[in-house]
Amino acid sequence: MTIAPRPCELARATVTAVAPTTERALDPDSRAWLTGLQARGADRDDAVARLHALLLRAARFEVSRRRALLPHIRPGELDEIATEAADDAAVSVLARLDDFRGASRFTTWAYKFALLEAAVKLRKRAWQGRELPLEQTTWDTFASRSLRPEDAAEQSELLACVGAGIAEALTPHQRRVLVALALDGVPIDVLADRLGTTRGALYKTLHDARAKLRRHLREHGLEPGRSGEEVDR
Amino acid sequence: MTNEIEQALRRLLGPGVPEIGCDECFDVLDRYVDLELAGADADAAVPGLRPHLAGCPACREEYESLRALAAG
Repeated sequence: MTIAPRPCELARATVTAVAPTTERALDPDSRAWLTGLQARGADRDDAVARLHALLLRAARFEVSRRRALLPHIRPGELDEIATEAADDAAVSVLARLDDFRGASRFTTWAYKFALLEAAVKLRKRAWQGRELPLEQTTWDTFASRSLRPEDAAEQSELLACVGAGIAEALTPHQRRVLVALALDGVPIDVLADRLGTTRGALYKTLHDARAKLRRHLREHGLEPGRSGEEVDR
Repeated sequence: MTNEIEQALRRLLGPGVPEIGCDECFDVLDRYVDLELAGADADAAVPGLRPHLAGCPACREEYESLRALAAG
Protein backbone atom coordinates (compact mmCIF):
# COMPACT_ATOMS: atom_id res chain seq x y z
CA MET A 1 0.00 0.00 0.00
CA THR A 2 1.16 3.53 -0.70
CA ILE A 3 1.44 6.44 1.65
CA ALA A 4 -1.61 8.60 2.16
CA PRO A 5 -0.68 12.27 2.45
CA ARG A 6 -3.20 13.33 5.07
CA PRO A 7 -6.58 12.44 6.47
CA CYS A 8 -9.38 13.90 4.43
CA GLU A 9 -11.92 16.18 6.01
CA LEU A 10 -15.27 16.11 4.26
CA ALA A 11 -16.60 19.20 5.95
CA ARG A 12 -13.52 21.23 5.18
CA ALA A 13 -13.40 19.91 1.63
CA THR A 14 -17.03 20.78 1.17
CA VAL A 15 -16.42 24.35 2.15
CA THR A 16 -13.27 24.88 0.14
CA ALA A 17 -13.30 22.45 -2.74
CA VAL A 18 -16.19 23.60 -4.88
CA ALA A 19 -15.31 26.67 -6.83
CA PRO A 20 -18.15 29.17 -6.88
CA THR A 21 -20.36 29.07 -9.93
CA THR A 22 -20.43 32.46 -11.52
CA GLU A 23 -23.50 33.64 -13.32
CA ARG A 24 -22.93 33.60 -17.05
CA ALA A 25 -24.72 34.33 -20.30
CA LEU A 26 -27.20 31.62 -21.16
CA ASP A 27 -26.93 29.75 -24.44
CA PRO A 28 -29.94 30.37 -26.74
CA ASP A 29 -31.58 27.01 -26.05
CA SER A 30 -31.33 27.43 -22.29
CA ARG A 31 -32.67 30.98 -22.57
CA ALA A 32 -35.64 29.68 -24.57
CA TRP A 33 -36.38 27.07 -21.89
CA LEU A 34 -36.30 29.69 -19.12
CA THR A 35 -38.39 32.16 -21.07
CA GLY A 36 -41.07 29.56 -21.72
CA LEU A 37 -41.16 28.23 -18.18
CA GLN A 38 -41.32 31.74 -16.72
CA ALA A 39 -44.08 32.85 -19.10
CA ARG A 40 -47.81 32.83 -18.33
CA GLY A 41 -50.81 31.09 -19.80
CA ALA A 42 -50.57 28.84 -22.83
CA ASP A 43 -46.89 29.55 -23.45
CA ARG A 44 -46.02 28.32 -19.99
CA ASP A 45 -48.31 25.31 -20.30
CA ASP A 46 -46.58 24.39 -23.51
CA ALA A 47 -43.13 24.79 -21.96
CA VAL A 48 -44.11 22.70 -18.93
CA ALA A 49 -45.40 19.94 -21.22
CA ARG A 50 -42.11 19.96 -23.15
CA LEU A 51 -40.21 19.90 -19.85
CA HIS A 52 -42.16 16.87 -18.69
CA ALA A 53 -41.43 15.10 -21.97
CA LEU A 54 -37.73 15.87 -21.54
CA LEU A 55 -37.73 14.54 -17.99
CA LEU A 56 -39.68 11.45 -18.96
CA ARG A 57 -37.09 10.71 -21.62
CA ALA A 58 -34.35 10.97 -18.98
CA ALA A 59 -36.22 8.81 -16.49
CA ARG A 60 -36.85 6.13 -19.12
CA PHE A 61 -33.17 6.31 -20.04
CA GLU A 62 -32.26 5.53 -16.43
CA VAL A 63 -34.80 2.71 -16.25
CA SER A 64 -33.45 1.17 -19.43
CA ARG A 65 -29.89 1.25 -18.06
CA ARG A 66 -31.00 -0.65 -14.97
CA ARG A 67 -33.60 -2.96 -16.51
CA ALA A 68 -31.26 -5.97 -16.65
CA LEU A 69 -30.67 -5.69 -12.90
CA LEU A 70 -34.41 -5.69 -12.18
CA PRO A 71 -35.72 -8.83 -13.88
CA HIS A 72 -38.35 -9.36 -11.20
CA ILE A 73 -40.10 -6.05 -11.90
CA ARG A 74 -42.65 -6.14 -14.71
CA PRO A 75 -42.17 -3.69 -17.62
CA GLY A 76 -45.43 -1.89 -16.87
CA GLU A 77 -44.28 -1.11 -13.36
CA LEU A 78 -40.95 0.15 -14.64
CA ASP A 79 -42.74 2.59 -16.91
CA GLU A 80 -44.90 3.71 -13.99
CA ILE A 81 -41.71 4.36 -12.02
CA ALA A 82 -40.31 6.40 -14.92
CA THR A 83 -43.50 8.47 -15.15
CA GLU A 84 -43.57 9.06 -11.41
CA ALA A 85 -39.90 10.06 -11.50
CA ALA A 86 -40.61 12.54 -14.31
CA ASP A 87 -43.56 13.97 -12.38
CA ASP A 88 -41.48 14.46 -9.22
CA ALA A 89 -38.55 15.85 -11.18
CA ALA A 90 -40.80 18.38 -12.92
CA VAL A 91 -41.97 19.65 -9.54
CA SER A 92 -38.35 19.98 -8.37
CA VAL A 93 -37.18 21.71 -11.56
CA LEU A 94 -40.01 24.24 -11.47
CA ALA A 95 -39.46 24.90 -7.77
CA ARG A 96 -35.74 25.49 -8.30
CA LEU A 97 -35.89 27.36 -11.59
CA ASP A 98 -34.32 30.42 -9.99
CA ASP A 99 -31.31 28.30 -9.01
CA PHE A 100 -30.38 27.74 -12.64
CA ARG A 101 -27.57 30.15 -13.45
CA GLY A 102 -26.37 28.79 -16.77
CA ALA A 103 -23.40 26.88 -15.36
CA SER A 104 -24.49 24.08 -17.72
CA ARG A 105 -27.01 23.68 -20.48
CA PHE A 106 -30.55 23.82 -19.15
CA THR A 107 -31.25 20.32 -20.43
CA THR A 108 -28.26 18.87 -18.56
CA TRP A 109 -29.38 20.67 -15.40
CA ALA A 110 -32.93 19.36 -15.75
CA TYR A 111 -31.85 15.83 -16.66
CA LYS A 112 -30.09 15.34 -13.34
CA PHE A 113 -33.34 15.77 -11.41
CA ALA A 114 -35.06 13.04 -13.43
CA LEU A 115 -32.07 10.71 -13.23
CA LEU A 116 -31.87 11.15 -9.46
CA GLU A 117 -35.59 10.53 -8.97
CA ALA A 118 -35.55 7.46 -11.20
CA ALA A 119 -32.37 6.02 -9.69
CA VAL A 120 -33.59 6.45 -6.11
CA LYS A 121 -37.00 4.93 -6.89
CA LEU A 122 -35.41 1.97 -8.66
CA ARG A 123 -32.94 1.30 -5.85
CA LYS A 124 -35.73 1.38 -3.28
CA ARG A 125 -37.97 -0.80 -5.44
CA ALA A 126 -35.19 -3.36 -5.87
CA TRP A 127 -34.86 -3.62 -2.07
CA GLN A 128 -38.57 -3.45 -1.31
CA GLY A 129 -39.53 -6.19 1.11
CA ARG A 130 -35.92 -7.16 1.73
CA GLU A 131 -34.49 -6.99 5.21
CA LEU A 132 -31.26 -5.07 5.49
CA PRO A 133 -28.33 -7.23 6.58
CA LEU A 134 -27.34 -4.74 9.25
CA GLU A 135 -24.28 -5.98 11.08
CA GLN A 136 -24.83 -9.49 9.76
CA THR A 137 -21.51 -9.41 7.95
CA THR A 138 -18.21 -8.93 9.70
CA TRP A 139 -14.94 -8.22 8.01
CA ASP A 140 -13.58 -11.56 9.21
CA THR A 141 -16.39 -13.57 7.63
CA PHE A 142 -16.20 -11.47 4.47
CA ALA A 143 -12.45 -11.90 4.18
CA SER A 144 -12.49 -15.59 4.98
CA ARG A 145 -14.98 -16.40 2.27
CA SER A 146 -13.18 -14.22 -0.30
CA LEU A 147 -9.54 -15.10 0.28
CA ARG A 148 -7.37 -17.87 -1.11
CA PRO A 149 -5.36 -19.55 1.69
CA GLU A 150 -2.02 -18.24 0.37
CA ASP A 151 -3.39 -14.69 0.27
CA ALA A 152 -4.81 -15.03 3.75
CA ALA A 153 -1.35 -15.85 5.09
CA GLU A 154 0.37 -13.10 3.12
CA GLN A 155 -2.13 -10.40 4.04
CA SER A 156 -2.98 -11.57 7.51
CA GLU A 157 -1.60 -8.51 9.28
CA LEU A 158 -3.45 -6.04 7.09
CA LEU A 159 -6.70 -7.95 7.17
CA ALA A 160 -6.56 -8.45 10.91
CA CYS A 161 -5.89 -4.75 11.40
CA VAL A 162 -8.84 -3.82 9.18
CA GLY A 163 -11.07 -6.16 11.17
CA ALA A 164 -9.85 -4.75 14.47
CA GLY A 165 -10.33 -1.21 13.21
CA ILE A 166 -13.93 -1.90 12.23
CA ALA A 167 -14.61 -3.57 15.55
CA GLU A 168 -12.81 -1.14 17.85
CA ALA A 169 -12.29 2.26 16.24
CA LEU A 170 -15.83 2.98 15.07
CA THR A 171 -19.00 3.90 16.90
CA PRO A 172 -21.83 1.34 16.58
CA HIS A 173 -23.63 3.63 14.12
CA GLN A 174 -20.51 4.14 12.00
CA ARG A 175 -19.87 0.38 12.01
CA ARG A 176 -23.43 -0.38 10.96
CA VAL A 177 -23.32 2.16 8.12
CA LEU A 178 -19.85 1.17 6.90
CA VAL A 179 -20.62 -2.57 6.88
CA ALA A 180 -24.00 -2.14 5.21
CA LEU A 181 -22.69 0.16 2.46
CA ALA A 182 -19.19 -1.21 1.87
CA LEU A 183 -19.55 -4.93 2.55
CA ASP A 184 -23.22 -5.80 2.19
CA GLY A 185 -23.86 -3.61 -0.85
CA VAL A 186 -26.93 -1.86 0.51
CA PRO A 187 -27.63 1.21 -1.68
CA ILE A 188 -27.14 4.44 0.24
CA ASP A 189 -30.67 5.68 -0.57
CA VAL A 190 -32.19 2.47 0.75
CA LEU A 191 -30.18 2.62 3.96
CA ALA A 192 -30.99 6.31 4.42
CA ASP A 193 -34.68 5.57 3.99
CA ARG A 194 -34.64 2.72 6.52
CA LEU A 195 -32.65 4.73 9.05
CA GLY A 196 -34.78 7.84 8.61
CA THR A 197 -31.95 10.04 7.40
CA THR A 198 -30.66 11.49 4.14
CA ARG A 199 -28.08 10.37 1.61
CA GLY A 200 -25.92 13.37 2.45
CA ALA A 201 -25.98 12.71 6.19
CA LEU A 202 -25.27 9.03 5.68
CA TYR A 203 -22.34 9.74 3.39
CA LYS A 204 -20.90 12.01 6.07
CA THR A 205 -21.11 9.10 8.52
CA LEU A 206 -19.46 6.82 5.95
CA HIS A 207 -16.73 9.39 5.37
CA ASP A 208 -16.02 9.75 9.07
CA ALA A 209 -15.92 5.96 9.51
CA ARG A 210 -13.47 5.64 6.61
CA ALA A 211 -11.25 8.35 8.07
CA LYS A 212 -11.19 6.57 11.45
CA LEU A 213 -10.36 3.27 9.80
CA ARG A 214 -7.52 4.84 7.82
CA ARG A 215 -6.21 6.45 11.00
CA HIS A 216 -6.35 3.10 12.79
CA LEU A 217 -4.29 1.48 10.03
CA ARG A 218 -1.71 4.27 10.11
CA GLU A 219 -1.41 4.00 13.88
CA HIS A 220 -0.53 0.36 13.38
CA GLY A 221 2.11 1.08 10.76
CA LEU A 222 -0.04 0.35 7.72
CA GLU A 223 -0.57 3.05 5.13
CA PRO A 224 -3.77 2.80 3.14
CA GLY A 225 -3.55 3.98 -0.45
CA ARG A 226 -5.63 6.55 -2.25
CA SER A 227 -8.18 5.83 -4.94
CA GLY A 228 -9.64 9.26 -5.52
CA GLU A 229 -8.87 9.37 -9.23
CA GLU A 230 -9.84 5.82 -10.04
CA VAL A 231 -13.11 6.42 -11.82
CA ASP A 232 -13.47 5.63 -15.49
CA ARG A 233 -14.66 8.49 -17.62
CA MET B 1 -4.87 -10.46 -2.72
CA THR B 2 -8.06 -11.33 -4.56
CA ASN B 3 -9.84 -8.75 -6.61
CA GLU B 4 -12.85 -9.06 -4.35
CA ILE B 5 -10.80 -8.22 -1.26
CA GLU B 6 -9.11 -5.30 -3.01
CA GLN B 7 -12.46 -3.89 -4.04
CA ALA B 8 -13.84 -4.36 -0.55
CA LEU B 9 -10.85 -2.54 0.93
CA ARG B 10 -11.42 0.32 -1.50
CA ARG B 11 -15.07 0.54 -0.47
CA LEU B 12 -14.14 0.39 3.21
CA LEU B 13 -11.36 2.98 3.04
CA GLY B 14 -12.82 5.36 0.46
CA PRO B 15 -10.86 7.70 -1.78
CA GLY B 16 -8.57 9.03 0.97
CA VAL B 17 -8.36 12.54 -0.48
CA PRO B 18 -10.52 15.61 0.11
CA GLU B 19 -13.92 15.26 -1.49
CA ILE B 20 -17.27 16.99 -1.60
CA GLY B 21 -20.45 15.40 -0.21
CA CYS B 22 -23.52 14.01 -1.98
CA ASP B 23 -25.57 17.22 -1.79
CA GLU B 24 -22.74 19.32 -3.21
CA CYS B 25 -22.17 16.66 -5.86
CA PHE B 26 -25.76 16.97 -7.04
CA ASP B 27 -25.49 20.76 -7.13
CA VAL B 28 -22.45 20.82 -9.42
CA LEU B 29 -22.82 17.59 -11.39
CA ASP B 30 -24.43 19.18 -14.47
CA ARG B 31 -21.67 21.79 -14.69
CA TYR B 32 -18.99 19.13 -14.32
CA VAL B 33 -20.51 16.93 -17.03
CA ASP B 34 -20.94 19.75 -19.53
CA LEU B 35 -17.36 20.91 -18.91
CA GLU B 36 -16.14 17.36 -19.53
CA LEU B 37 -18.17 17.06 -22.71
CA ALA B 38 -16.78 20.39 -23.90
CA GLY B 39 -13.24 19.12 -23.37
CA ALA B 40 -12.52 21.53 -20.51
CA ASP B 41 -10.66 20.69 -17.31
CA ALA B 42 -13.68 19.78 -15.20
CA ASP B 43 -11.56 18.54 -12.28
CA ALA B 44 -9.84 21.91 -11.97
CA ALA B 45 -13.17 23.74 -12.14
CA VAL B 46 -14.94 21.43 -9.69
CA PRO B 47 -12.31 20.05 -7.30
CA GLY B 48 -13.38 17.30 -4.95
CA LEU B 49 -16.05 15.86 -7.21
CA ARG B 50 -13.93 13.18 -8.90
CA PRO B 51 -12.83 11.69 -5.54
CA HIS B 52 -16.45 11.71 -4.41
CA LEU B 53 -17.45 9.71 -7.47
CA ALA B 54 -14.77 7.19 -6.49
CA GLY B 55 -16.21 6.88 -3.00
CA CYS B 56 -19.96 7.05 -3.62
CA PRO B 57 -21.46 4.38 -5.93
CA ALA B 58 -24.86 6.10 -6.09
CA CYS B 59 -23.48 9.45 -7.21
CA ARG B 60 -21.17 7.66 -9.64
CA GLU B 61 -24.11 5.86 -11.24
CA GLU B 62 -25.97 9.13 -11.63
CA TYR B 63 -22.88 10.82 -13.07
CA GLU B 64 -22.47 8.04 -15.63
CA SER B 65 -26.12 8.29 -16.64
CA LEU B 66 -26.03 12.07 -16.90
CA ARG B 67 -22.86 12.01 -18.96
CA ALA B 68 -24.30 9.42 -21.34
CA LEU B 69 -27.61 11.24 -21.66
CA ALA B 70 -26.09 14.70 -22.10
CA ALA B 71 -23.67 13.40 -24.72
CA GLY B 72 -26.49 11.91 -26.80
